[in-house]
Amino acid sequence: MKSQNERRRTFLCISIPILLLFFGFNTLPLIKGFIYSFTNFRGYGSYDWVGWRNYVDLFTDSRVGNSYWFTFKLAIVATILINVVSLIMALALNAKIKFKSFFRGVYFIPNILGALVVGYIFSYIFTYILPAITHAASMLADRNWAWVAIVIVCAWQSVAMSTLIYISGLQTVPEDVYEAASLDGATGWKLFRHITFPLIMPFVTINTVLCMKNSLMVFDQIMALTKGGPAQSTESISFLIYNNGMNGGQFGFQSANAVIFFIVIVVISVLQLKFLNKREEQL
Amino acid sequence: MEDLKVKEKFNWPVTILLILGLFTVLFPLYMTVIIAFKQPSEMTNDIIGLLSFPKSWSFENFAEAMRVTDFWRSLFNSFLITAVTMVISIIIHSLMGYAVARNMNTSKFYRFSYFYVVSGMFVPFAILMMPLVKQTAQLHIDNVFGVIVLYVVFYMPMNVLLYAGYLKNIPIALEEAAHVDGASTWTTYWKIIFPLMWPMHATVAVLTALGTWNDVMTPLVIMSGSGVNTLPLAQLNFQTQFGTNYNLAFASYLLALLPMLIFYLVAQKQIINGVTNGAVK
Amino acid sequence: MKRLALALIIILCMSSMAWSASRPVVIELVQYKQEALKIFDALAEKFNATHDNIKLKASSPNEPITILKTRFIRENYPDIIGIGGDMDFSNFQDAELLADVSKYPGLQKIKKAYIDIIEGLEFVPTPGTYGVPYMANAAGVLYNKDMFDEHGWKIPRTWSEFMKLCEDIKAAGILPFYFGYKDTWTTLAPWNALAVDLAPADVCQQVNMGKTTFAKEYKEIADKILAILPYGEEGPFAYGYNDACTAFARGQSAMYTIGNYAIPQILSVNPTMNIDSFVMPGSDDPDGQTLNSGVDLMFCVMANSPHKEEAYVVLDFLLDPENIQMYVDDQNSVPCQTGQFKLTPMLDGMREYIDAGKMADYQDHHYPTEMSVSAMIQTYLIEKDAAGFLARFDRDWARYNRDVIAKVQKYNASH
Repeated sequence: MKSQNERRRTFLCISIPILLLFFGFNTLPLIKGFIYSFTNFRGYGSYDWVGWRNYVDLFTDSRVGNSYWFTFKLAIVATILINVVSLIMALALNAKIKFKSFFRGVYFIPNILGALVVGYIFSYIFTYILPAITHAASMLADRNWAWVAIVIVCAWQSVAMSTLIYISGLQTVPEDVYEAASLDGATGWKLFRHITFPLIMPFVTINTVLCMKNSLMVFDQIMALTKGGPAQSTESISFLIYNNGMNGGQFGFQSANAVIFFIVIVVISVLQLKFLNKREEQL
Repeated sequence: MEDLKVKEKFNWPVTILLILGLFTVLFPLYMTVIIAFKQPSEMTNDIIGLLSFPKSWSFENFAEAMRVTDFWRSLFNSFLITAVTMVISIIIHSLMGYAVARNMNTSKFYRFSYFYVVSGMFVPFAILMMPLVKQTAQLHIDNVFGVIVLYVVFYMPMNVLLYAGYLKNIPIALEEAAHVDGASTWTTYWKIIFPLMWPMHATVAVLTALGTWNDVMTPLVIMSGSGVNTLPLAQLNFQTQFGTNYNLAFASYLLALLPMLIFYLVAQKQIINGVTNGAVK
Repeated sequence: MKRLALALIIILCMSSMAWSASRPVVIELVQYKQEALKIFDALAEKFNATHDNIKLKASSPNEPITILKTRFIRENYPDIIGIGGDMDFSNFQDAELLADVSKYPGLQKIKKAYIDIIEGLEFVPTPGTYGVPYMANAAGVLYNKDMFDEHGWKIPRTWSEFMKLCEDIKAAGILPFYFGYKDTWTTLAPWNALAVDLAPADVCQQVNMGKTTFAKEYKEIADKILAILPYGEEGPFAYGYNDACTAFARGQSAMYTIGNYAIPQILSVNPTMNIDSFVMPGSDDPDGQTLNSGVDLMFCVMANSPHKEEAYVVLDFLLDPENIQMYVDDQNSVPCQTGQFKLTPMLDGMREYIDAGKMADYQDHHYPTEMSVSAMIQTYLIEKDAAGFLARFDRDWARYNRDVIAKVQKYNASH
């Protein structure tokens, strides 16, 4: 009994301070952000309560609307692109190839590099090198293409990570499954479609959720590549909140934007998990 | 069986495709290196001029870039933040994971705590950013220390999830045996459980370190204007200063990438294993 | 016992005094002009060499306004800030962050026109003065003098002449402009330069009072900024300010629609370049042109700085004619202080306007930052839809200025 009490006390001594820390720097600012969203606070000086005005404005503000449209377009396209490319990469790297560990090592490099600096390097490539080769104008200057450039840079970095996850997924598929399938005459695409893919479905879930979450929060790449331009076509939600909230004196309004963004992320993550879990079960 | 192995052939077409694919990874890095070594006068707008080697491999640009960005100081700050965050994360996140994992099934409080902390994963930094800027300033921790505290909190959801998941596979019988011998829960943890979790510690260390080392936004908003730079922040802060000199800028970028590249060369296996563990768990 | 305590107190006081005397008061100055980083470092060094009890710490960070605002959010204030006479000043003043410096003697030496400009930036009139104008800038067109001399091109006095000049330059196989519109703020340079000729100076106030609309007042400006676009580099939205400065410095274009503040940057690429400037002619009236000039740099003492006296000593130093000349030589600026200063020959083309006082402030100094007018102009230049752009201007203006308009109306009702 005494030892039971001691155990319980120790666990409480561990968890309560940590929970307080978490509350203080995660939940408390969340609540404060929610409160600020009802003000016209600039971040400094005095402010007034404005009720739901910021929320009403959010839904009529074309710039906020555009930032959601851009962010989702980017997130969906990047997620699909990254998953397709990395699945192919994983299959290739898992095949019987020469220099296997060398390839795996090199292909992972983009993932360890800082997104900001990678963005600066690609910015130069898009502005000077690609136009010199293709004799076309820079993608970053074209509002119909700038987002594609950002997708490319995001993908360049994220493919490495997803590939790694798919490789470990492929390694969970036992050899004898393939042997049995090949005895049935299944080869190539058929083998992949009906045997491999269903078996690695959990890893598709992980990758989709991770990619989606990361690309919805895209910030560094925007800072480095376009700063939201041209013609405000690449303002991501995080970028807009940072730029107008901190720099533009819209502390209150962008707090409201952040609250909505938070709700959107939660809803999407939950839906994604539900949907993909269901698929997993069906398969 | 032996025969089979000898006959096993390498898939050469795939190997060749992979070699060609390396181009996509290495080309940007190649560009970074050659631009960093060139002089502004060597920068021309035709393809050959853009892609050719520099005339001489002089380290002038690097010396200048180091001076302008105060490289060693930024490197030290980045290193300090990353290392301290890593150590604190391993200690307190594993403790939290332990407390939660061992009580989740019996206690509502710990079950709630677990979901409370883990759900923090969904909170985007953007919503916390502005209140945190105010809060850290009011607490006078708008400095390196504050940034570390914030990182420890940001990575808590993921790390607690990882630790709690890992601990489910460590049988409770081990602790009970120690208890019978009269050891306290606290001692048992450090003597028996903590060492058993080394694979998870490595994962947590790698994931936390990669995240903090490359992060821009947190130090940007928390420490801006204090004159204290991290390595990525220094790149952002000095963008305009050498805006007209791409060579200097690229030398600086290369310097910023180098520590991580070297670390990766040394600890490649641990990093890859760590990242895979973290994602798959 | 008592004596001992007394002695102890005296010793403590003396040692603390000695301690404070040996430690100079640090005055932190954050100024927003990165072009002026080196000259501020030099001025700070000079100041510190001549003052023992005050130490000046000057910094010129990247993204300076964001940094300043972030610091204000953190309630971490420098002692003096060096900012431009624009909407940021209005906001800081309105938030009561700035100290009233009307009693500062140095203010007497500042030309009244510039004090009027910054007074005009306050949302509602206040009795005090909240900044010391230091340098003015002048925006219009910078041109490559050697190139102009070689081809015998004349400085245009009217919009038609200006267009003709662009055609002539183009016919000679030379690019008339390099714009560098990737950095959106550069679109504001030609915009403002045209606006001083084509729109009333108080258009923003008039709109706030509901007397006119931007769609009406800005139509011609919108048309003309679009009209010069074809004379620029191909794909102007790919290149930024730095690229444009570099290209102009290397002779890749004959003209650059920017202000004198770009000269140091251009000279850093090509130190021997022969640059001159002219006022951008917006209208066809040869005598109706106005120079676009505003307060480029002003110093504001923060309201809660504990060292205001020391801050004034720093200002005295910066306003010393010798140091002003040092700054002017380095930055090719126009000082706001009265007195004889040697101005750069690169502003010769604008000199007659400066001397005659035919100047008007930048229109964008009245635009709120978060409205991102520069990005709107960039969007317009890409989409080329003038009606849509102007309609959006009016719509966004009403929304982003809602609180200001309310404040102004409240003020007008009570005065």
